[in-house]
Amino acid sequence: MAEQADLLRGTLDLLILKSVSLGPLHGYGVLLRIEQITQGAMQIEQGALYPALYRLEHQGLLASEWGTSDNNRRAKYYTLTAAGRKRFKEETESWNRTAAAMSLALKTRPSEM
Amino acid sequence: MVQKLRSFWRNALGRESFEDGMDAEMRFHLESRAADLERRGLSPEDAARQARLEFGSLEKQKDLARAGIGLRLLDEVVGDLRYALRTFVRQKGFTAAAVVTLALGIGANAAIFNLIDALMLRSLPVSRPGELLLLKLGSQKDLVGDPTFSYPMVQAVEAERDVFSGVAAFSGFGCSAGSGETLRRVPCAVVSGGFYETLGLVPAAGRLLARSDNQPGAPVGAVVSYGYWERQFGKSPAAVGQTLLVNGVPVTIVGVSPRGFAGANVGAAADLTIPIAAIDRLSPSGRPLLGKGNSWLRVLARLQPGVTEAQAAARLSADWPRIADASIDPQWPAFRKESVTGAVMRFEPGATGWTYLREIYVKPLSVLMTVVSLVLLIACANVASLLLARASARRKEIAVRMAIGAGRGRLVRQLLVESLALSLLGAACGIWIASSGANLLVNMISAGGLPIVFDLTPSWRILAFTTGIATATALLFGLAPALQATGFAAAAVLKEDLRTGTARLRLLPVLVTVQIALTLVLLIGAGLFVRTFRNLQLLDPGFRADGVLFVEFDRRLGGVPLTVLPGVRALPGVASATIATHTPLSGSTWSEAAVPAGQTLPERDNAVFIGAGPAFFSTLGIELVAGREFTERDAAHTPAVAIVNERYAETYFPGQNPVGRHLIATLNGQRDLEIVGVARNTYTRSLRGVPPRSVYVPYAQLTGMQFGNVVVRRTGATPNLPDELRRTLQPFVPTTPLEARPLPDQVAGTIVRERLLAALAASFGALALLLASVGVYGLLAYGVAQRTREIGIRMALGAERRKVIALVLRGARRSLVIGLAIGLPAALGASRWVESMLFGLKPTDPVAIGAAVVLLAAVAHLAAYVPALRASRVDPLVALRHE
Repeated sequence: MAEQADLLRGTLDLLILKSVSLGPLHGYGVLLRIEQITQGAMQIEQGALYPALYRLEHQGLLASEWGTSDNNRRAKYYTLTAAGRKRFKEETESWNRTAAAMSLALKTRPSEM
Repeated sequence: MVQKLRSFWRNALGRESFEDGMDAEMRFHLESRAADLERRGLSPEDAARQARLEFGSLEKQKDLARAGIGLRLLDEVVGDLRYALRTFVRQKGFTAAAVVTLALGIGANAAIFNLIDALMLRSLPVSRPGELLLLKLGSQKDLVGDPTFSYPMVQAVEAERDVFSGVAAFSGFGCSAGSGETLRRVPCAVVSGGFYETLGLVPAAGRLLARSDNQPGAPVGAVVSYGYWERQFGKSPAAVGQTLLVNGVPVTIVGVSPRGFAGANVGAAADLTIPIAAIDRLSPSGRPLLGKGNSWLRVLARLQPGVTEAQAAARLSADWPRIADASIDPQWPAFRKESVTGAVMRFEPGATGWTYLREIYVKPLSVLMTVVSLVLLIACANVASLLLARASARRKEIAVRMAIGAGRGRLVRQLLVESLALSLLGAACGIWIASSGANLLVNMISAGGLPIVFDLTPSWRILAFTTGIATATALLFGLAPALQATGFAAAAVLKEDLRTGTARLRLLPVLVTVQIALTLVLLIGAGLFVRTFRNLQLLDPGFRADGVLFVEFDRRLGGVPLTVLPGVRALPGVASATIATHTPLSGSTWSEAAVPAGQTLPERDNAVFIGAGPAFFSTLGIELVAGREFTERDAAHTPAVAIVNERYAETYFPGQNPVGRHLIATLNGQRDLEIVGVARNTYTRSLRGVPPRSVYVPYAQLTGMQFGNVVVRRTGATPNLPDELRRTLQPFVPTTPLEARPLPDQVAGTIVRERLLAALAASFGALALLLASVGVYGLLAYGVAQRTREIGIRMALGAERRKVIALVLRGARRSLVIGLAIGLPAALGASRWVESMLFGLKPTDPVAIGAAVVLLAAVAHLAAYVPALRASRVDPLVALRHE
């Protein structure tokens, strides 16, 4: 495994929203998708995933529906709701702003002071 | 927020499917992960183990998921509730004491509030009741106004179509229905033609009365109430169109009023409703009611849309000359004409209809409401100290729970749930007490007077009110102990030796002091009301009511023929019998102007008149101070005579003997009367105030008299006499059911309000005393239990039992003295508020105050003595070895 970054507060929620925004997923699928899109750089504690999913659904950002999985099993699929899409957009922008500011700050050299 | 609530309820209600779903979802995850791991080459067992390891504790994740959506809170509260109920079952004594205390407190409040609601707050079951206005006739000076109108004035107001969209006038009216054996008195109402239309009612059957019914000469139609329709006709649709004999006159039933509506006169349900214009056909005495001289109708009105009250008042005052002109009789004296021309129409909210009871009972009910609120406060203080004492006994339990990680919030919540459950239990029992209590109250008010009918089915208001009290109570007494019990660090208490009793509860004595103060206020109040009632009961009214029966004849009959008397006198058990236009304290009096001959008659009436038959004074037991009583010889053709009372004599013949002097009085014009006797003063109007100046005239010399009562003094116990009287007299009045009533009942009827207050104030005072003594007992019992070791040491060191008792009593005495010191000025302040309701004593009545203080002190000492005695019996050896 490559180096792992600690999951910042709120990062997990954002990653879940991102994963689901790419298409309906069941819980395990979300886990795999996060690993895939972060190229393994972010590995999340598997158990922590479900409390987060339930919380997001409770907040009305995710909707869920029972369906059939690839291996023909019953699985609960999550999709983004309209509110979820809106929140995802806001969170993404906010994240990008923070990241840009951080990266700018960290690049500062003594000569630029 | 809405989304969250919806999600919470969906999951909470479909709890099973939620749990199943969560389980299935997580298992699917584990299996998928295991399958992936297997594909990477692990053995099935290793893969499953690895998947579980990576996932962590299944139960912990589930719990976190539940917490995330608020379900864990629900689980915890349910757990708290279950725990509380288990505690209640385990501590039956505590629970019973707390629930009964609360139930009595809440029940008393709900009962009184139920009555207040029925009497004052409940809107009439009509359409848009909020728009209704109660009309009142005031003047420039009289800002309150009088709510009675004459029929001509109602008609004049009805004509103001650009002001009012509808005018509903009404009044109660006594009538009888049926004939022969089925003859019954029925509560009736007469209404104006626009009554039902204005109220916007829909008939349950047939139609309601309309303007066309309220025309002189129109066929007489009646609307029956839903209740009457149910009782008399079994809700048969065929009832509509049937003819009913009302006062012997055939009346057609045109329809049935909607269920729940029994007139706009709250408390006096009308079973039959008849147009005003028909009143002269139903009763010979009805004709004057249609004239200008009688103000007897109450009026509810609805304004035209868009017209404000101010605009309405302005238009009415501009139009007033026309209305006044239609309502004034040219023969009236000037002052009476001016009272109409100078009148101003006033509006009051009319949503709740009208009832005379409101004016009478507003003050007593608000006094009672205050009393029961105080009782509830005392009850709350009691339950609070019960909970407090228990919570402190549970300090160790709580400290242990905090030590093993329970949060303070969690513990406070658990204690709160417990007290909330307790008060809801109390409220449930209280509602039961209230519904039986409110009926009892209505019966008490009804005693001696007209039957009062209230819809006492608890409304949402009462449910909201009691639940509100219960919740407020729970917060009040639940929070204090909860915070105090958790307001210390866990470690400190675990280390502390509870036996030293160093940690005493400061709140407990304060609560008991408050209880004592409130109880003193209630006891003093009870003393004042009980003594007021006793004073009224013991007051010599100037006549002897005991053993007197009377039969009231309907006023439409044109009086009672004197020929009934021989038959009545011949009945077994009759000592004497007479006829009188009015019986004392009947609520109706007759007044005329009367002055010594030679003086000018005043414009206003100045004496109460009573038409009295032979033997009137001996039958009623009114003593004659001078002269003679009326006899059979005072007949229509003999010289006109009169008997005056002492007050009249003192006013008009000061220092002289009026016997043999002459009066002139307004009896059918002016009439000269020779005074033949002077009678003692009697209270004929009311037991309060001074007896009015009275003039008695022989019944046989009256003309056109419409009132009449046969009055009988019985010799002793003759239980059949009322029935025999009725049987003897009924043939004279075939269309009216007669009833023989004891005069003492009528006298008692005039002090129903005082009786109600005295009885309730005394009961609530007793209740408060009981609760306060439980409070004192609880305080000391708790204190003694806490100080067992200290007391043991004192006794081991040689303290006498007497000293130990004194030591414990000292604690109670402190609360008592402070409580009395606070309660006394509070009671004095409060009693000034009820001064106008007292009779024969001042609000600072030393007897009432002294008795209350002595009683409270005695009971408090008695309550304190039990734990004190127990303390004195402490065995030093046992106490010191204890724990």
